[in-house]
Amino acid sequence: MSTERVSNRGSWYLLTGTLIGLALGLLVAWILFPVEYVDTSPASLRPDFKDQYRSMIASAFLATGELGRAQSRLSLLDDADPVQALTLQSQSALSAGDPDGSAYALARLADALKLSPTGVSILPTSTPASATQPLLSGATVTPAHPPASMITPVSSPTPRPTRTPTPTVGAAYILIKQEDSCETNLPEGLLQVEVQDAAGRPVPGAEIILAWQGGEEHFFTGLKPELGDGYADFTMTPDTVYTIQLASGGQLVSNLSAPSCRTSAGDNYHGGVRLLFQQP
Amino acid sequence: MSRWLKFFFMIAVGIAIGLIYGWVISPVEYTNTTPDTLRADYRSDYVLMVAEVFHADQNIDLAARQLGILGSEPPTKIAAQALEYALQANFPASDLSLLQNLVAALQTWQPAPGGTSP
Repeated sequence: MSTERVSNRGSWYLLTGTLIGLALGLLVAWILFPVEYVDTSPASLRPDFKDQYRSMIASAFLATGELGRAQSRLSLLDDADPVQALTLQSQSALSAGDPDGSAYALARLADALKLSPTGVSILPTSTPASATQPLLSGATVTPAHPPASMITPVSSPTPRPTRTPTPTVGAAYILIKQEDSCETNLPEGLLQVEVQDAAGRPVPGAEIILAWQGGEEHFFTGLKPELGDGYADFTMTPDTVYTIQLASGGQLVSNLSAPSCRTSAGDNYHGGVRLLFQQP
Repeated sequence: MSRWLKFFFMIAVGIAIGLIYGWVISPVEYTNTTPDTLRADYRSDYVLMVAEVFHADQNIDLAARQLGILGSEPPTKIAAQALEYALQANFPASDLSLLQNLVAALQTWQPAPGGTSP
């Protein structure tokens, strides 16, 4: 009996020692000397700073037109779907009145990424200080390489991405098509506007000014991405005459109003209008 | 081995397990960091983006404001540090030129009264 008690006590004090040691180890690891992240990556940024970083990437893309560089930079944010992240941020900026003017740049970059061919090579972003950490999926930095700028390819023969053609800034939009619509499945008086660049690609984030006697409304393309990035609409009041123009300039279209339509049963209703603006 | 020796040995084993768990298996994770903690190369690339935008719009107030998220240091110093890193890291000449232009513009820039916001 006495021998058994001593044996049990022996086992318990060993376990107690282990637990005390474990507690001390965790105290040191988590409280006293936790792992310090002083050299963080953009992926770990707080969401609002990530948004600012993304805006900066889009603005730089708008300034340089270098899509490959923008892609490399976006990949650092570890977004599950970079295009969606850009589109959502653009739309949310527009909803908030676009206080920092980044909506257009974000939308342009999202648009360019959508149009870029699949498999566009993302330049490996060599760097760094922690050479074992891959900055891009599939691109592991070789420790022997010295730190380099984000755009310096690891393999020297890789050419830098070519400048992506962008529509001429300020090029005036002209009205390409205007037609009345009497579709009964659409809301009455629906004004549908489509904005395209010179290459016929939809232009998201384009500001449209609609004016009528005693009022004015500003709205943007791209807020209904399911209908197209260059699409915007507005419900016109019957018997009101509108004038429309893109905020960036271009052709002024006047005398717009909801047309009168008639169903096969002879009932009258107001149809809609479709407009297509394009850069020359 | 005496009982006390075994006891302290097990404490050491526990400490080792605790450190491995706390530093390797489940270290403290920082998910909501601020831009001032970014590694030097990322900071430099951010400054390069600002320089690219500045080259296009020549809006030095906006550039200073954009640099402001990298910390409380003056924008001139932030840009100069990025240029220094870029020189060490052998950035392409075109990028160095953009950074130099930004640094030069910031050196003569006077913040608007009440802050850097335009």
